[in-house]
Amino acid sequence: MGITVKIRTHQPFDSTEPNLHTVEPILRTENLWKLYHAGKVEVPALRGVNFDVLPGESVAVMGPSGCGKSSLLYVIGGLAQASRGRVFVDGNDLSAMSDPERTKLRRHKIGFVFQRFNLLPTLTAKGNIAIAQYIHGDGFDPHRFEVVTRMLGIEERLHHRPAELSGGEQQRVAIARAIINEPKILLADEPTGNLDTKNSEIVLEMLRRLNKDLGQTIVMITHNPEATTYFDRVVHMRDGVIVDGIPAD
Amino acid sequence: MMGEFVFRNLFHRPVRTLIGVLAIAVEVTLVVTIVGLTSGMLQETAKRIEGIGADVMMQSPSAQIFLAFSGSPMPIKIADKIAELKYVRAVAPALLQFNSTGGVEVVYGIDPDSFRAVSSGFVFHQGRDIQGPDDLLVDDWAAKAKHLKVGDTYNLLNHDWHVVGIVEHGKGARLFVPITTLQDLVGAHDKASIFLVKCTRPEHADDVIEEMKATFPTYPVRPLKDFMTLMTSTNIPALQTFINSMIALAVSIGLLVIFLTMYTTVLERTRDIGVLKSLGAGKLLIVRSLLTETTLLCFFGIAAGIGLSYLVRAGFLALFPTLSILITPEWLIRAACISLVGAVLGASYPAWLASRKDPVEALTYD
Repeated sequence: MGITVKIRTHQPFDSTEPNLHTVEPILRTENLWKLYHAGKVEVPALRGVNFDVLPGESVAVMGPSGCGKSSLLYVIGGLAQASRGRVFVDGNDLSAMSDPERTKLRRHKIGFVFQRFNLLPTLTAKGNIAIAQYIHGDGFDPHRFEVVTRMLGIEERLHHRPAELSGGEQQRVAIARAIINEPKILLADEPTGNLDTKNSEIVLEMLRRLNKDLGQTIVMITHNPEATTYFDRVVHMRDGVIVDGIPAD
Repeated sequence: MMGEFVFRNLFHRPVRTLIGVLAIAVEVTLVVTIVGLTSGMLQETAKRIEGIGADVMMQSPSAQIFLAFSGSPMPIKIADKIAELKYVRAVAPALLQFNSTGGVEVVYGIDPDSFRAVSSGFVFHQGRDIQGPDDLLVDDWAAKAKHLKVGDTYNLLNHDWHVVGIVEHGKGARLFVPITTLQDLVGAHDKASIFLVKCTRPEHADDVIEEMKATFPTYPVRPLKDFMTLMTSTNIPALQTFINSMIALAVSIGLLVIFLTMYTTVLERTRDIGVLKSLGAGKLLIVRSLLTETTLLCFFGIAAGIGLSYLVRAGFLALFPTLSILITPEWLIRAACISLVGAVLGASYPAWLASRKDPVEALTYD
């Protein structure tokens, strides 16, 4: 599975010099198909997607509605099972895994951010982040918690419930929840879709800092072309396949 | 963390939680009250029979241990034969009549002299002993419940009786009338339901029993000191079945309400379940969180149910002072366990459904 690719390194942070390395993709799909069933009719959402993401890379996936972006995200995140083809996450073949195995992989290697924030309404912001740590199984890490919440600028809002937070704040809490366990990959499904321009910029800047400062691998789905400028690479999808992959800069 | 999550979820919909708690409380109260009422009445009856002071009791061959249901009276002349036996000091025949008008009670038809010889007599709060054919003795509890006093007329078994005495409770029945009048009223001339025997000394009871069994082989003869142990629901025909049916009914109520409560909870939290799954929560964790929530709800319900049981008992006793409702720690624990098992069973299917939800469908659920 080893391939030779050209990527930007993240150490040192201010370096702009590209280096050559041989690295394993942290995420790879091979001829990935996802079929949904509408009655007796099979509807293909993904039609043989081949897609690699390298460690520390940030990738934006763009495409029209219904092109299979969300399906791709759900399959590579282990939330949905591939109908055909293979998905490798950090060297683990998801397509060969059982549901409990995929759940475990999701717990340890993947963080999700959703368009509708999806915070648990009964818990405070702190509780929403802490429950991810609880599920992860390592218990509450106050140091990591402090670093993440300060970086996302939500340390003053931790005792508020989601209904008491603005959209931007809710999404930052959702990002904190997604990264609190240091996942290998952060998957974001249109994270700015429910935000105004100002809050969208804040969230996108947060994601960029996560990627640049912490080396967080990010795959984001978006409809917003401006959002792609915050990412290393943009991938376009159409009719269930990836039609190109071009560097953003 | 999971504790906080469960606790906050429980109080997220207070009305729904309250309904669940009430259902469990009603379930516990039903179980505790029904069992308490039956066992209380049985124990209280047994205490009263023991309190007569006789050593031995003989019933007719087809009679039941629960005297209220005793039919098939025996010839009263049997008393004379028993009196001839060795170590027998006195024999008192009594005719028992079940009355359900104006309350549920057993009326004892007695011969005042022989009953006094066997029981050492009544302790009178007011009035005097039976002398005339229409005289009625009432114990103090029944007098209080029926608001009777000496000199009143009381209609019982379609007959007007004169209340001539209020006696201390605990001598078999709450109402005593002359046996001959009762025999006439119920058409059981020269008949008796039970024979109460006083031995010359209590330690002679076993000898007397042996002799009575030899003389009347088909008649059940029992020492009254053991009567309490015999008066259990399992010895009363169909009573245990009735109790079990009532418990099953109570459990069904609790189970169905909890099922509905948790089912709607799972529907409402579909998206939350998807979120938990996206965070890597396994099926077991989701089932555990819902069952823990149910258990917590059940604990509140049990606590409320115990309180409600005592409240219901107080209400019943205020309305019907002659009732006896026995609330025991044993049955409180049993009722709690029954409710808990029922609630967990009721929540199991919704919890299982939740654990099997497709995460993608759950996350896109509206």
